[in-house]
Formats: sequence, C-alpha cells, structure tokens
Amino acid sequence: MKGRVVKLREAHKAGSPALCCASWGPSGQHVVTASAADTAVLIHDAATVLAGGRGSGSSPVVTIRLHKDGVTALAVAPGPSGSLASGSMDHSIKFYTFPEGEFQSNVARFTLPIRSLAFNRKGTLLAAAGDDDGIKLIATIDNTISKVLKGHKGSVTGLAFDPRNDYLASVDSIGTVIYWDLCIGAEARTLTRVAPTFRSDNSVRNILCWSPDGQTLAVPGLRKNVVLYDRDTGEEVCTLYGDHEQPVSCLCWSPNGRYLASAGLDRQVLIWDVKSRQDIERQKFDVRICSLAWKPNGNALLLIDVMGRVGIWESVIPSTMKSPNEGIPDLNSTKAPLFDDDDDDDDEDEEKPSTSGGLEDDMDETLSDSTPFSHKRPRRKSTFDRDSDNEDLTHQMESTKRMKDKHNKKEDAGKARGDSATSARLVTARMQAAFQPGSTPPQPGMRNFLAYNMLGSITTIENEGHSHVEVDFHDTGRGPRVPSMTDYFGFTMAAMNGSGSVFANQCKGDKNMSTLMYRPFGSWAGNSEWSMRFEGEEVKAVALGAGWVAAVTSLNFLRIFTEGGLQMHILSVSGPVVTAAGYEDQLAIVSHASDCLPSGDQVLDVKVFNISEGAQSMFGRLVLTPLSQLSWFGFSENGQLSSYDSKGILRVFSSQFSGSWLPLFSSLKARKSKDESHWVVGLDANNVFCILCKTPQSYPHVMPKPVLSILHLSFPLASSDLGANSLENEFLMRKLQLSQIQNKMEEMAALGLDTTTYDDEAFNMEAGLDQCILRLISICCSGDKLVRASELAKLLTLEKSMKGALTLVTRLKLPLLQEKFSSIIESFLFQERMLNNKIIAGTGRFCSNATIMTSTTVLTTQATLPSKFMQDGNSSLESSLPKPNLVNQQCSSTEPKNSAGEQGIEIKDSTGKVSSAFIPSTKVPKSSETKKHRNGASNSAVVDQNQEGDIDHTGAKKLSTEYCNRAEPQRPVNPFAKSSSSKEQSSSLLDSIKKMKVDKPNSRI
Amino acid sequence: MAGQSDPHLSIFSPSEVEFVAEDEIVEIVPNIRMDALNMICGDFGPFFPQIPTKVPLWLAVALKKRSKCTIRTPDWMTVDRLTQVLEAERESPREFQPLPFHYIEISKLLFDDARDDISDAYLVRSLIEDIRDVRFHKVETGLETISGRTHAVKLKNLSAMEVNIVRPFMVRTLQAFYKHDSPQMIQQADNTGSRATPVTDRGPRRDLRRR
Repeated sequence: MKGRVVKLREAHKAGSPALCCASWGPSGQHVVTASAADTAVLIHDAATVLAGGRGSGSSPVVTIRLHKDGVTALAVAPGPSGSLASGSMDHSIKFYTFPEGEFQSNVARFTLPIRSLAFNRKGTLLAAAGDDDGIKLIATIDNTISKVLKGHKGSVTGLAFDPRNDYLASVDSIGTVIYWDLCIGAEARTLTRVAPTFRSDNSVRNILCWSPDGQTLAVPGLRKNVVLYDRDTGEEVCTLYGDHEQPVSCLCWSPNGRYLASAGLDRQVLIWDVKSRQDIERQKFDVRICSLAWKPNGNALLLIDVMGRVGIWESVIPSTMKSPNEGIPDLNSTKAPLFDDDDDDDDEDEEKPSTSGGLEDDMDETLSDSTPFSHKRPRRKSTFDRDSDNEDLTHQMESTKRMKDKHNKKEDAGKARGDSATSARLVTARMQAAFQPGSTPPQPGMRNFLAYNMLGSITTIENEGHSHVEVDFHDTGRGPRVPSMTDYFGFTMAAMNGSGSVFANQCKGDKNMSTLMYRPFGSWAGNSEWSMRFEGEEVKAVALGAGWVAAVTSLNFLRIFTEGGLQMHILSVSGPVVTAAGYEDQLAIVSHASDCLPSGDQVLDVKVFNISEGAQSMFGRLVLTPLSQLSWFGFSENGQLSSYDSKGILRVFSSQFSGSWLPLFSSLKARKSKDESHWVVGLDANNVFCILCKTPQSYPHVMPKPVLSILHLSFPLASSDLGANSLENEFLMRKLQLSQIQNKMEEMAALGLDTTTYDDEAFNMEAGLDQCILRLISICCSGDKLVRASELAKLLTLEKSMKGALTLVTRLKLPLLQEKFSSIIESFLFQERMLNNKIIAGTGRFCSNATIMTSTTVLTTQATLPSKFMQDGNSSLESSLPKPNLVNQQCSSTEPKNSAGEQGIEIKDSTGKVSSAFIPSTKVPKSSETKKHRNGASNSAVVDQNQEGDIDHTGAKKLSTEYCNRAEPQRPVNPFAKSSSSKEQSSSLLDSIKKMKVDKPNSRI
Repeated sequence: MAGQSDPHLSIFSPSEVEFVAEDEIVEIVPNIRMDALNMICGDFGPFFPQIPTKVPLWLAVALKKRSKCTIRTPDWMTVDRLTQVLEAERESPREFQPLPFHYIEISKLLFDDARDDISDAYLVRSLIEDIRDVRFHKVETGLETISGRTHAVKLKNLSAMEVNIVRPFMVRTLQAFYKHDSPQMIQQADNTGSRATPVTDRGPRRDLRRR
C-alpha cells in the first residue's frame, strides 16, 4: 500500500450489494454511473467525483430516471459527439445524448433483463445481451437489429468489440467465451469454461476486454488470475497471476495496452504491467469493486463498488513508469507486438496491412518463407486465393496470405478465412494446393491429425519448437503399439498402413530441408527406419503401400522407395501434385492438368500405378462437382479408387463403360441437419465411414476421440414415378457390386488363379440382386408399369427367380406379362442349354448334376466312400431328382407334356441304373437338392442329349466321350477363361456350382 | 424370487433392481475388433474400432472395465437435457417427466465404471440427484393423498427404483384400507387370527388379487 487511499462517494443508494457500472465520457470530463439497485443513470463531472471524497455537497450534473427498474449496463459511444446507451432490468435499452443526457430513443426491447452493452470503436454498432439467448447487434444509425448471435448457454454478462472491428467477444455467466466473426455473423471460436462460473449470482459478472491494439483478449481466469487470449487463434498467450485471493471479476486495459487493472472478489484492485506480467500497484477496498474504467486521456482509474459508491484513483501508474497514455496504438499503422514471441511475428506477417503486391514482393516472400502453408496457421490451408497473378502453385499459399492482408480491412476478409475447403467461396478460382487425405489443418496448442484412416491415426502437436507425434491404431487389441516420437523436423504430412508410417515436412528456409522419413511398425532388423533429404525440392504428398513408399515433390518427381529405403524409381509426373494414395501395390496420384477453368473448376488428372509390376493401370480425368475441390482421395476397403470433393459428393471408380466415376454418396442428401458435414475416412462396398462435423467445424478434433458414423452408399437417383427409390438404389448397388466381383474373378482367371473364393460371393450377390429385382417387379406390376416389369424380368439371372416372377404375375392376374415372362424363361432355358452343351463339351472334368456320374472326380470319391452312404445316396437321389423335372414340366410350356413325362421316367431309369453301376456318392443328391433351380435346365439338357445320342445307360463313361466328340474341337486349357470371355455371367455361375460340387466332396474326405 | 423372502412383501433390493437395469441397451464405441457375440439375450456386434454399437449395459460395463470401449453417454444424460427435465419436474408438481425406466441405476453404473466417458460428470451427477430428490418428494406428497376411497393411483413415468420404494407401502396401505372397509375381511381376519401368522399374512393378499 502506498498510502494513497481512494475515497469513494455514494452515488447510488443500495441497500444490499448490487451490480453497478461506471464509464468515462469520451473526453474524460464526465463520468456516468448506474446501479442495478437504482433506476437512475447519473452523469457526473469528473472533477466533482474526484473531489467527492472531501466535499459532500456535489451533486450529479444530470440525473436520468427513465428506466422502471435497476440499470445494469451502460455504454458510451466513442467520438466527440458521443451518445450514451443504458440497459436495464426492465428489459429495455435507451439512448441518450451525451453529456446532456437527453433521452433520444428506445432502442430495443428484450424479453429478459439486459446484462451487458458495448459499442464498437466507431459507435456504429451496439451489441446488447443479457439473460435472453441471443446477442443483438443494433445499428445505431437507425436502431435496427442487424443480427442476433445465438450460441451462449448462460446469460451473457460481458461483451467487447475488437478494436479492429473483426470480432465481437462475449462471455457468459458459466464462463464460456465466444469470438463472433462480425463479417459472417457466426461463431469464430468458442472457449468453453474459461472464466469463473457465476450461475445465479447477479451481483457478480464475468466481463472481458480487448487490448487496445486488438491483439489480445483479457478474460478473468479460473484460478484467480487474468488470462490473455490471442486474437486470431484463441489460444492462451499468457496469464497474469498474482495476489488476487479470489477470482477476478472485473478488468480494464489502460488506453495504451501496457497496463491492466483488475478487481477481484477479494475486494482488491490490482494494476498489472502486462509486458512483465507483474502487478505494480494495488489497493484494497471495504466492499467489492464491480466496475473499472481507465480515463481515456489521463492517468486515472474510475471505480465503483457494489454499494454504489464511486471514486477516481488518481495517478495510478507511478510517475517513474511509462504513462498509460503513451503510445496508444494506432490501428491504421503497423502495430507494435505486445509479446515478442515467434507466434506474434507470424501474426504480424499476416496482419500487416498490405503494401503493393508487386512481383518483387512475391519473390521476396517466397524466398524468405517458402512453406506453402505454415504449420501454425490452420486457416490458410485450402482457402482460395483471389489474387489474379499467375504464379506457380508453390507460391500459391503465400499469395493467399498476401491477399488476405489486402482484404483484411474489407468486409469479406472474414469470409476468406473459411476454415476449410468446404467453406471456401470462389471468386476467382485457384489451383488447389497439395494435401494429404485424412489430415486436418494444424491448430496452435491443439493436436491435429496428420493422417486418419480406417486403420488408425497419426497426430501431432507442436510444443516449444519441436513436435510430438503419436501413432494410434483404432484397434487397440491388434495393432502394434507404436511409441510416440519427438519430431524435430516439424512433419506436416504423413501416411500410414498396417506395416509402417511415412512422414515428410516442407522446407522452411535453407536450413530446414524437406525430409522424408519412414518408420516401420515392426521389422526383423533393428533400427530399420530411414530418412531421405531433398535439396531444392520439397515433398508435397506421400503415400505408402505393400512394400513401397512414394513421395511426390515440388519438381513433379514421383520418387518410389522400397520399405527398406532403396530408391527404386524416380518418375516425372505430368503436373503439380494434389494428393496421393496407396493400397497394396497400387499407387494413385492426383495432379493438376492445367490451371483452373474460367468457371472455377479444378482440372485434375488421376493416374494409378502398379508398383510391383511397374505398370500404369489407369489414367484419366478426376471428376469433381462443379466449383468444388478434392477433399479426400483414397482406396476403399476392397481396393476401389474413390474421391470425395468439397461439395460432399463421393465417387467410386468403376470399370463400367470402360472406366467411369460413379457418384455414390452425397453429403448434402445424407445429412440430417443443415450444419452437419461429413469428413470421409474410408468406405467399403456398401457403406461410407465418416466423421460427422458440425459447422463451423468442418474437420474433427483429436480430442475427444472422433467416432465414425456409417452411412449407406446410394446413387443420386431421380425421384421416379415408381416411388421405390430405396429399392431402385439397392438394385443399382447390387448390380455394381456384382460387376465388381465378376471383374475381379475375370482378372484372377486371366492370371490363372483360383477364383473359387469369389464363387460363393458372386452367387450370393446374384441371388440378392434377383431378390431385389423380384420386389421391383412386384412394385412395377402394382404400379402398372408392365414394360418396366418385363425389362426387369430379363435381368434376372437365376432360373428359380424367373419362375418366381412368373408365379408372381400369375397371382397378380396379368396374362400379358405372364406370356412375356414365359417366353423370357424359354429363351433363357434355350441359352442355358446351348451353354451347357458347350461347357460339357469343353470341360470333361466339370460336369453338371446329371452328368456328374461321368465326372472323374466323383468317380474317385465314389471309390473311397464307405458303403453305408451308398444307400442314402440312392434313396435321396431318387426322391430328389424327379422333383425338378416336375417343375420343368410346369414351366416349359412349349414342350409337350408327354415327352416331359417320358423324360422324367427316363431320367429315373438312367439314374437308377447308373447308381447301380457306379455307386453314386452322397454328394450327388445333396448338391442337386441345393441347386434345384438349376436341375431343371441341366436335366432337360442331359435328357436331350441322351435321346439324341442314343446312349445306353450302362456306359456313362462313353457318354462323356461322346459329348466331347460331338462338340467343337477347340478345348480351352482353362475352363473359366473360356466361360468368362465367351458367355455372360450365367456361365460363370454354372461354373461356380459345378466347382462347388467338385470341391465339397474333396473337402469332406 | 429372492424378493419374496423379504419381510416387506415383494420388495427388490436396490442391487436386484440394478441387476435388472443392466439389460438396458447403451451405445459403446469399441476400440477393438471382435466378432459378434451370440448371447441368450440376443446377438451383439460385430465390433469394429471407433464405430458405435449398441450392447446391453452389463456388456458395456464389462468391456469398459477391460478398457476395450468407451461408453457413449445416453442422450438424456447430458447437462442440457437434465437441466430441462429438472426444471420441468419442479414446474409440474403433479406429473413426472419421461425418463428411462432405470435412469437411477443406469446413471449409477455409468458413474461407477465409466466416469471418464461422461462430460461434465460432476454436474450431471448433481443434476440427477436433484431430479431424483424432486421426484421422490413428489411421490411422497402424492402418497399422502391416498384415502380409503382410492381405488387406483395413476403414476405415469415412474421409474423402477421409485416404484420399488413405494411398492411395499402402497400395497400395505391398500390392503389396510381394504381390510378395514370389508366386513367379510374383518371376519376372516378374526377367524384366521388364531392360526399361524404366515397364513394371516397371505390371506388378504390373495383376496386382493382376486379382485
């Protein structure tokens, strides 16, 4: 204590402690006070207040008694001809002239008491808030509400406009601070629970205050301190922690921003030197001070306590120190940084008002700081540049930065700072910058994802010059545990798969070269991680796959390394890279094909390499929604190339129409509410896995751990008159999956590999597709779309389902369709028959049901089978075989009934005889039962053959040889290769069935 | 049932009620890959890391104890919802707000085993306690209004634990009223009075059921 005690004089009568507020007039000659316990607003002469301690007869200059209840908030508009606003418990806000105090107008009315008011620097905007759930921004010129900002959960007790007029900061009674972006009128940043919570206690309130240069926001902290937050990032810059014994309730910056006064619940007022973060002066009072104000043009502090007593603390800052008015920041000139951190320098770069954007300047900037996007500034990533100079892509982000500076004072500056590609607005489009799929923009003080895929994630956080990188697997049970790594390079991109992770950084100046590093998760040799350095070259995108690592650099080189670090291939790619992705031995690279189209569309090429074969398996244009950017790119779980753009369309590459992109998911259609967006992580055949983000956030945070949501893939179908969109979608999806499987089988077969693993899958897929078609047929029938129904029937692949369709239309009493369908079945059967002949001829080894007796494999199994199975086999064979024949009779209307019956008998005969002769295996009837739908066709075919060939039943072996003789002479080495190339899917199915039959007995034995 | 051995008619002990509540379905986010579990009560899973799945509470707690998952806080257990419910409970003295039937037990289990998964755990806990107190108080005041002419008491949205607490009292009260009202009952009670006590106890109950 310095002995100078500030005397307080009663201005408002208060029986109990009530919230009071006080403010200086703009010229510093007047003082305004109000109390929540008093309806009056008083304007005093500053001199009388100062003398108030001694002289008692002084009275306020003006007394305004217009409110019906206590006045809780005051604000004086800056400028010489200021006006005064007051807000009250009676829910109203009133304007007065100042310093005369004449009533001007009722500004606005709330539904609940008002707690806080604030003018912006020019006095054009008044922010008002209270127990209502919105902050109202009122244009003072015509008293209209220009915006209501909603987002606080508690009553808003403190408001402050950023001196640069970009932000409004607000704090509520539960301690949440929100930065509102005034340009777009939305939350720019939310800091939850940073200030003390005063839930229902109305005699205490949280307030906050911007430093006069607008660089920092002072907020009372949770630990009896004052916390200063950065303007742009919202991160904690420093705290002022000292002798407050209870939480700080009120604070105020000196006009030059050098000092800060804070009043705490412990009845102390402390003056802080912000630069040294120490308190330099203090004063203790009898009751709590609830409002502070620095004199705008003098070394004095206005105080008012909760009992409504007001006083002025003269010469607060000792004369030995800099006066609080010296060096008031001029917002129009380059500001002096408050803290000498790197961080601030960075800010300075950004905030620096633009000088000319000449070419020379560009060059300087690119040389001095050639990081495309600094790892400190998240917002820069993927914002569009409005600059029109034609620069290399490398320089793109620098120009973004410059452009932002240029636009800084314009209204749309805030818009340009969209948080991600999705919020980017195009004026003149720019070529999209390189990115790593599954990464999130870095945020100071917070972890961000370098990579996030279906397997795990790589996160990083910067901490005192070096970063801390962690690799986590989602599946904690299986994935290897990877020790965290301290990263001195400042890695900005990474990719991972099950066997390792690859990291790379951008070069920062001459000293810090671009480095590529690979860390295997496990290796038989110790110390098997390696790194590569690139001189005069910068890694732009990385990817890895089975046994290889790829990096694409700023010189458009594609460098491929082996897992051990051997430099295998160095290729040139056709344009500046956008992103890269790897899957097993496939590497996909997206690059720019040219500058953007005038319409603003990106022109991207995609190339897929097969690393192990050294081949290029695909090259084409990457399809994007108009005016969008690529925001995710990768392979699906089953290896399909997929892309996701900023307009929320997911596309999957399909070989249909010799290679095309199918739009399979739309974020806009899938979202449940307007502020939802999807951040894609991966996809499989049916679903897309993504993380739901609520605007303004368009990417997930590391903490709390994001949760994947599963959304179904669906085609963007036109709404058809059928009214069965989900079914139609299912139909298309199943067709797509079937074609994918068949493609795979073809590929495998072409390589001479075994396709049996896919046979079952393909069969199930066909069955599912048929089921879906049948349901569609029934809907078409009830919707009277007969043509469509018959088209659908033609798409059926299984005979059983065709018969199902026939029964369906018979039941629905549609004779026209019935006729159509039976002719379809007929032609199908005919085709099948032809096919059967060919196959039987071509493949002596694989024979269908009836001819199975001739099959050599079955014969061998028969020999080994125990005799007790024989009888079972016989009986069930006889019981099961006639059945399909009956079905056959019903459906094949063309064949005369007699002959069909004869065939049935004949077949029975033949089987009986054959069984006696050859001892059929148990498997024969079993498979014939499961594939009953096939039996009809194959039986009849065989019967025909029997009749034509005039073969006696005793020599079944002759039978097969006969077939071979009669069929075409060519005999493919691989039966599958032939079937897949010559005939459509039905043949492959047939193969699959036969294959199953042959396989199963083998597996049993 | 174990409850029937209790002297207070068919009261369940709180741990028994909790046991019943463990069948409630909650959502978990597993961090392991696991095949589907086929239980008598149903099939759960398969489990994929980071993809939410619905499982019964007992399974969720068991997995949580082995740190194989995080339990997602149910919708109703957020500060916002509970604050609303509490306000509504206070405003309407005659009715109960809809809450899960086992809300007390679920919240207790979650607080015991999955405290770190609940945001604002302290606040949530105090809110739930407040709600419980308000509701119990309501139940108590409601019981005061029961008189001899009460044939039925309609208590909508009452939770398991609350029912369990009022059950013995309610049953006994109604029995007592019934007994005093019906002359036949009085006689019967007199007749059976000389016999063994357990029979006396059961007599009125049977009649009550028949009605």
